[in-house]
Amino acid sequence: MGSYIIRRTIQAIPILFGVAIVSFAIVQLSPGSPIDRFRGANVKPETLANLARLYGLDQPIPQQFVSWITTFLQVWRREAWGFSLSDGRPVRDVIFSRMPATLLLGGVALALTIVVAVPIGILAAVKQYSWADKIITTFATVGYSIPSFLLGIYLLYLGGVVLHAFPLFGMRSLVGGGSPLDIAHHMVLPVLSLAIQQIAGWSRYVRAKMLEVLNQDYVRTAKAKGLSSNRVTYKHALRNALIPVITLFGLTLPGLLSGAVITETIFSWPGLGQLGVIAVAQRDYPLVLAFVMLGGFGVVAGNLLADVLYGVADPRIKY
Amino acid sequence: MVSQADSTALEIERRRREEAEAESEEIDRTPVRSYWQLVRRRFLGHRLAVFGAIALVVLALYGIVVPIVTGDAWTLTHLFLPDAPPQLFDKDGNFTFAILGYNETGQDLFARLGKATQTSLEIGLAAVLIIVTIGIFIGSIAGYVGGWLDNVMMRFVDVMLSLPALFVILMITAFFGGGNVWVVILAIGITGWTTAARLVRAEFLSLREVDYVQAARALGASPRRIIIRHMLPPALAPIVVAATLGIADSVVVESALSFLGFGLGSQEASLGTMLENAQNYFFSGPLKVVYPGVVLILIVLSASFLGDGLRDALDPRQRIETK
Amino acid sequence: MTAANFGTGPLLEIKGLKTHFFTQDGTVKAVDDVSFQIAHGQTMGVVGESGCGKSITSLSVMRLIDRPGRIVDGQILLNGVNLLTKSEDDMRDVRGDQMSMIFQEPMTSLNPVFTCGDQISEAVQQHSSMGRREAWDRAVEMLRLVGIPDAKRRATEHPHELSGGMRQRVMIAMALSTDPDLLIADEPTTALDVTIQAQILELMRSLREKNRMAIMLITHDLGVVAEMADEVVVMYAGKIVERGDVKTIFGAPHHPYTKGLLRSIPRLDARVDRLEVIKGTVPSPLNLPTGCLFKRRCPQRMRICDVAPPVRDLGHEHVSRCWLTPAGEEPEVGAETKGPEAEEAAEALTVAAR
Repeated sequence: MGSYIIRRTIQAIPILFGVAIVSFAIVQLSPGSPIDRFRGANVKPETLANLARLYGLDQPIPQQFVSWITTFLQVWRREAWGFSLSDGRPVRDVIFSRMPATLLLGGVALALTIVVAVPIGILAAVKQYSWADKIITTFATVGYSIPSFLLGIYLLYLGGVVLHAFPLFGMRSLVGGGSPLDIAHHMVLPVLSLAIQQIAGWSRYVRAKMLEVLNQDYVRTAKAKGLSSNRVTYKHALRNALIPVITLFGLTLPGLLSGAVITETIFSWPGLGQLGVIAVAQRDYPLVLAFVMLGGFGVVAGNLLADVLYGVADPRIKY
Repeated sequence: MVSQADSTALEIERRRREEAEAESEEIDRTPVRSYWQLVRRRFLGHRLAVFGAIALVVLALYGIVVPIVTGDAWTLTHLFLPDAPPQLFDKDGNFTFAILGYNETGQDLFARLGKATQTSLEIGLAAVLIIVTIGIFIGSIAGYVGGWLDNVMMRFVDVMLSLPALFVILMITAFFGGGNVWVVILAIGITGWTTAARLVRAEFLSLREVDYVQAARALGASPRRIIIRHMLPPALAPIVVAATLGIADSVVVESALSFLGFGLGSQEASLGTMLENAQNYFFSGPLKVVYPGVVLILIVLSASFLGDGLRDALDPRQRIETK
Repeated sequence: MTAANFGTGPLLEIKGLKTHFFTQDGTVKAVDDVSFQIAHGQTMGVVGESGCGKSITSLSVMRLIDRPGRIVDGQILLNGVNLLTKSEDDMRDVRGDQMSMIFQEPMTSLNPVFTCGDQISEAVQQHSSMGRREAWDRAVEMLRLVGIPDAKRRATEHPHELSGGMRQRVMIAMALSTDPDLLIADEPTTALDVTIQAQILELMRSLREKNRMAIMLITHDLGVVAEMADEVVVMYAGKIVERGDVKTIFGAPHHPYTKGLLRSIPRLDARVDRLEVIKGTVPSPLNLPTGCLFKRRCPQRMRICDVAPPVRDLGHEHVSRCWLTPAGEEPEVGAETKGPEAEEAAEALTVAAR
């Protein structure tokens, strides 16, 4: 297993390299220049030229890429990821300061998803064709079909405007906020908006896998041995059905880091997603590049985690 | 003159022969249905899928017919009619089909919704076309040729898959165009082809070795015939399913983009711009958020049902519920 | 564990079993009025083509029939007790203990995430008061018994680490670990190579000797039946068409279907240019013929076959569901003057003549 992880990590390097190239290329190809924001009526050309040299814009593109990527990899340095064009702060600091909010939101949503989706998926499979199954399947189909940003808007409307029960934006109340209870209160709507769609998707998957397993021969063998139906379901069947679900867990993790871009924007949640949107809108290239790299890293790490977990869970897999 | 007894005997003989024929037919004849006939049968048996197909057709018609019929009513502002209720005749006595009322600048919501549906569906379709084209191109080459070319292409697919898709789309639309429809379409298209490529590649890889292709080769069938008659139908199946679901997905992405202010401008009518506009008027005009949302949900639901039905119809092996 | 009950009555009695499947396209009578007995220590071969209902019969005995199927009629008596009236809880005590079942596909019949030893000791613990350690020891002992080399190590391995033949041995070990009175074997060797098949059959033979165990052996392979069975039941389209001693069935079969099956086996001692087949195919369960179910394919078909044939007693526990006389000839019209079948037959003939 250890050698497998090392092998996969080595394989991940060219992928991340590719991600870096693609994102750098997009930035380079786009019209305009990072120093456009500094152009003004009263700005002298020499100042602009100085700025261009400061940002390394006068160097040939491949050289710019190399110097960017080599600095970028030195994560331990504060200035490794550049400085934000909008407020001059080191990008690394900006990102790290926003990360907790996103992780909180995503983490709670993921926990909620697991706690709700897995049991109802199992229930729907075990009691197939019952009214419970029909309700759950319908909910899952509908919930999966409502785009998350639409759900966010509607939840915001229902919870904040109609019921007037939840705050309309932000993570903390403007006046006297900040307590865990206050944050939790602010978190309800965005978490629901994220979780409902995930629950719908997961429960369909869990149900499908559970049904698949329940139709397997070894389940029939277990029944023929005279085991109770609970034993058959929860020991023999579930153990097999959960294996792919575990990988699903690994694959959902990247979404945590990229931040629920749309949800955070709708609810003005001060996380990475909202930061990313603002950065793109303001053409804050260093910040944008850091984002893409972070997202790419998240995907690669998530995939690796999913495969490792799968290898641990399924005795048939030998790495 | 045939006697009574003779006619009875003839009767018996005739009936015996009929039965024998009927039975021999039953023994030997099992109705042979072609692949496509079976597909159609399975599909029509899926009520939800049929409903999805019909719903999509209706929505498409809405998007086609209403803009034609209402002309430019979707942009015409009537500033004296802010948030006016539905009416059938305007103050000059002309017939208007404003059954959903007007928005805050007096634009006919019904017409606007029609135009929005049209725009969103067009973008979705165009993006899917790009996705499918690139996907088939890359996937078929990788799957058919194999070897190092396949390896290289798949690494490239891995890179594309590792990019945070929505974010990259945001980047492309923000940097390259603001409000340009084609930029939006291209952005969605060039970030979305990876799944399609993988599907095609997987099919081609497995189809190269499959028994009936080998058999066709052994019988001396030309490569062209093999590809067209034997490999293409099963390879198209997952593509069709992916394309159906892809349309819904692309429409949702476009709506999200416009909602965030990155896609089309608010002057345009798309489901996203209508939603973006509506969120400013939660208190005064709550229904404005409902109409485009409902259309969006319907598009996604219908496409999912249709996609599920197509998947089951084209490849029943993937069905799970066997009890 | 059961105290072996070698009473004088039969071990298993199936009377008039009917298992029907209620599907969207219609009702499938998978098992329609099946009756036979198995004595203690006897091996009963159940033969027939795919789809004739033999597997469903065995699943019915184990009461493992699930939606949309249901046992609609009949009795299944195990040691005199009707299994069909038992509660599900009681049934679970019987399953795996007094009766065990092994299945066709050893590749998929064992749970891939548990070790072989675990799966066997689970069965043992379920039906006895043994603790974990004891049960594990018994599992290893059983593995040795079925001829798996290095049993102690193998018990800690997962099914995918074993070959098909070994997996089937594990299944047999699991089934026998509770010392059942009856072993139901559903096509146990069909998925295995011929050489492995021979080994498994040899194993089963030696085990039944040792344990005085009855076997219901379901198969479509007549060779296996000839080797293993004491009595044979031939099934077709959900009904039993012939039943008898294995020597009689093979030596002097009565029913045309049985005769057709035996004729279609290639022989080493005769040279033929063409293999014999039974013409036609098994009727679709949703489109069964009236009267004798075999009539459309029977080379000796008669007019009277449009009426359902009776079950003829041919003596010495040999029965056959056919209109042909015990000598194998066509019955004279009017010769059968007793019983309701004769009246039905007469009625049918007059209807046809009208």
